[in-house]
Amino acid sequence: MARRIGFFICECGPNIGENVDIDAVLNAVEDMDDVVLAARFGLMCSGPGKDFLKANIKTEKLTHLVVAACSPKQHELTFMEVCEDSGINPFLFQLTNIREQVAWVTKDKEEATEKTIRLAKAAIRRVRYHDPLSKTALAVNADVLVIGGGVAGMAAALRLASPERRVHLVERSSSLGGRVVAQGPIYPTMASGGEMATAMVDLVEGNDWIVVHRYSEVSVVVGFFGNFEVVVTGELEDGGTLETKVNVGAGVVATGAEVLEGKPLEDLGHGSIDGVVSSAELEAMLADGSIGGKGGKAPKSVAFVQCVGRDEVGYCSEICCMNSAKQARLLLEAAKGAKVHILYRDLCVPGRDQQAFLEGAVKAGANLVRTTSVEVGGSKGGITVSHSLGDGKAEKLMVDMVVLSPAMVPPTGTEGMAEMLNVELDPSGFLLEAHAKLEPMAAGIDGIYLAGSASGPRSVSDSIVQAEACAGRVLSSLIPGRTIEPEIRVSHILETLCTGCQTCLEVCCYGAIVYDPMKNVSHINAAICRGCGNCVAACPSNAISLYHFTYKQLYQEIVEAIR
Amino acid sequence: MDENNGHDDVLVIGAGMAGIEASLRLALAGRHVHLVEESPCFGGSVIRFEDIYPNMDCATCMIAPLQQDLLQNASIDLLTLSRVEKVSGNAGKFKVRVKKKASYVSAETCIGCGMCFEACPVSLDNDFEEGMAQRKAIYVPAAGALPNVPSIDTDNCLRFKGEECNACIEACMFEAIVMDDKDEVLDLDVAAILVATGYGLMDLKPMKRFGYGKVPDVLSSVAFARLYASNGPTEGELKLRSGDAPSSVAVVQCVGREETGYCSAVCCLNSLKFAHYVDHKLPDAAVHVLHTDMCVPGKTHQRFRDKMVEHGADLVFATDVKVGKGSPGVKIAYKDGAGKAAELKVDMVVLAPAFVPSEGSKELADILGVPLDGTGFFAQGGNGGGPVSTAKEGIYVAGCATGPKGISQVVMEADMAVAAILTGTDGGVS
Repeated sequence: MARRIGFFICECGPNIGENVDIDAVLNAVEDMDDVVLAARFGLMCSGPGKDFLKANIKTEKLTHLVVAACSPKQHELTFMEVCEDSGINPFLFQLTNIREQVAWVTKDKEEATEKTIRLAKAAIRRVRYHDPLSKTALAVNADVLVIGGGVAGMAAALRLASPERRVHLVERSSSLGGRVVAQGPIYPTMASGGEMATAMVDLVEGNDWIVVHRYSEVSVVVGFFGNFEVVVTGELEDGGTLETKVNVGAGVVATGAEVLEGKPLEDLGHGSIDGVVSSAELEAMLADGSIGGKGGKAPKSVAFVQCVGRDEVGYCSEICCMNSAKQARLLLEAAKGAKVHILYRDLCVPGRDQQAFLEGAVKAGANLVRTTSVEVGGSKGGITVSHSLGDGKAEKLMVDMVVLSPAMVPPTGTEGMAEMLNVELDPSGFLLEAHAKLEPMAAGIDGIYLAGSASGPRSVSDSIVQAEACAGRVLSSLIPGRTIEPEIRVSHILETLCTGCQTCLEVCCYGAIVYDPMKNVSHINAAICRGCGNCVAACPSNAISLYHFTYKQLYQEIVEAIR
Repeated sequence: MDENNGHDDVLVIGAGMAGIEASLRLALAGRHVHLVEESPCFGGSVIRFEDIYPNMDCATCMIAPLQQDLLQNASIDLLTLSRVEKVSGNAGKFKVRVKKKASYVSAETCIGCGMCFEACPVSLDNDFEEGMAQRKAIYVPAAGALPNVPSIDTDNCLRFKGEECNACIEACMFEAIVMDDKDEVLDLDVAAILVATGYGLMDLKPMKRFGYGKVPDVLSSVAFARLYASNGPTEGELKLRSGDAPSSVAVVQCVGREETGYCSAVCCLNSLKFAHYVDHKLPDAAVHVLHTDMCVPGKTHQRFRDKMVEHGADLVFATDVKVGKGSPGVKIAYKDGAGKAAELKVDMVVLAPAFVPSEGSKELADILGVPLDGTGFFAQGGNGGGPVSTAKEGIYVAGCATGPKGISQVVMEADMAVAAILTGTDGGVS
């Protein structure tokens, strides 16, 4: 069928009408190939404007539509809807922006008219080469994979599981609960972390819609948002492994963080001087009653050393100041009159409640000391802690116990996890968020979410907030029974031209491309591709093109624009 | 979308970062949202900042797609110039009365060309620009504010003062000015309510030691952010009252921390960002950041701090800061890390005031029947629930309405509230 292109220019009241010679534009385009109508209207986006378009599409039997008006951000969808209502494929349409890009910025009317003519001709020339594209709808699997059975993973699982949504919770170790299950009181509420985690474990185990995979790891994840295929590899008692295949629509990574070990702690006497412990070791002693509690002993003087390993890792672990304040409170409760010093660099107590909590520790007797460097040495009567004060002078403390607050670091296996999920790592080695501000709970891959310390050091309460945020994202976008419409303007590879060089795999930010070694060609998964065009530009053999942005379309548009 | 005849509608109060995020997610899930915003535009505090730490993303660009989604989303009723006046009922069936002030401009016909405010003869200080620029009686708060539909400030419009003036009516080619527009009262049935009213900043004037309002070229953090903004009063030029560029700038941290008793969590990073602003626009100018505890929590922020130091920012430990007139410029007296008295002379001082509860928090809390905590922010988790629940079932709270926090935490709380609303239970475990 022959093309019948209609060109319409919107006056936008005086906005375009007064700054561009509209008749001159209409004259310039009406003789172009396939243009059967060139017309103007006062306000094209208004009801009467849309009716005007629809009436003309009908009477002139238009097959393609070009509108010269405002920014596509404002009304591209408006006119695409007009196309759909009138039986034209909405991709056989082109909007050219002559308001923001011409009328509002080009003061000279003659110049503005000339520029408008170029843009109009470019759009008309381009639309001749447009192809009709159609939306596809994919059924989704609403089930969710949660990796990691600590409080973050359990919180996400509990929020998500329902008769319509099964959750597969994969835990590396023998039991759920993570680090928190061994903890005593947690700040700021001082409720028992262990009790809280245990209660969550009970809820998870009693939930019919949560499948817990213990002694298991996720070994394969392929697919895309709404349709992931996962292999869970479990360790059997006889030493063998069992592979279970599960299908899910989304995944939540809740693999937590670990505590720094090694040199920074050893330099401060950990492992060589009696009484030098890490905060995690003190936590365990407080929880099992070997310090404090009934029958437990309590040191008479303690120095907490903050920021251990901070220089080495290059970041502040956020939770250690508050954790030491809490442990100081517990020690002071256990031994009234004990001397507790907290040697800090910068107190990190952000938020409404944290400073008051810290001040509670000070009221209970903790002594806050701002210092720039600390050395720990053993001596007969105890442990010597020398540190320098703000004025450069040094001070010596004699204590029974030194508690080191080491940095939080990514857990072992994070790199492999990142590679498997095609998620990037940040410079600190934690999993990288899709956007630090707007999507701190999502990974760069659609449908993969991050909960708890997997993406950086987080307190128990913040971990749960993030886990619940993951759940909020899943609940609002992966709805049982609904379909999802993937992006239409995506790239595809012409197999006959592809040489299998895999350059495209390197530049794809979304993990949308896979290489098929059997056929020696690469293949783009249209459901994952976002149409960024990176691969198109990178392909050395011109085998890739992007629907709606083909070489031909762009070339024809540019030729006319720069003629 | 409205399958349940409004019975599972949600009311979101406040169209800042938290309110926008939650509204969009709830709409995506098929809920109908009534988003109530007191001011004429949405975007909240974020849109006053051009760049956002640590990556220096342009904030306006960052949230523009969200704003666009909001404008085009048929499931969200965007009620600007509106206030919640009355709430009754319980979770699942709240009755809410919202008063929407007349804007006197038809959002359907206005195209946002700005002819009306060019014609308006009235000129007054623009609060959005901290009074550093003027606006008209018919106005949008700043270029790029959305929705891009002006409204008439009836306290200052000549017609509303009984004078003859048709300037805007005559200037509008679209007959979009509707002088007989009336305030509306909307009665809504909603299943859940989300409070996302954000924060305010501590009033600097009563803290006389900081010289605000007395000493020239002592600015609030927001005023400085507006100076830097390309849609701000100087189109992005950092300059002194005299019109000259400052050759030295000091940013003073923890202003009001003593009074509030808490650390506002984001000011250190915000001030480091200001150091970047100065470095970016005035590379030869000196920047001093006077801080107590440098609060850079999390995996990325210390790198940002280190980068600013590499770029020449001078971080100074300072307590007992007093700001006074220098001759010329501004003089800062403080105690250094060793407790010794020290002094610094600069051309410009930027004060980083503490976050405080947003204006009207008490009134809104009373209307909703939920408590505030000792600091005046909305109390969290009173119902035995998580940090986004309040003492009343079905009423949730997210973002800085419960205390100071950064954008990422705000967004996470908004999504946590969405999870709670969609599953019909309060966030539970922490």
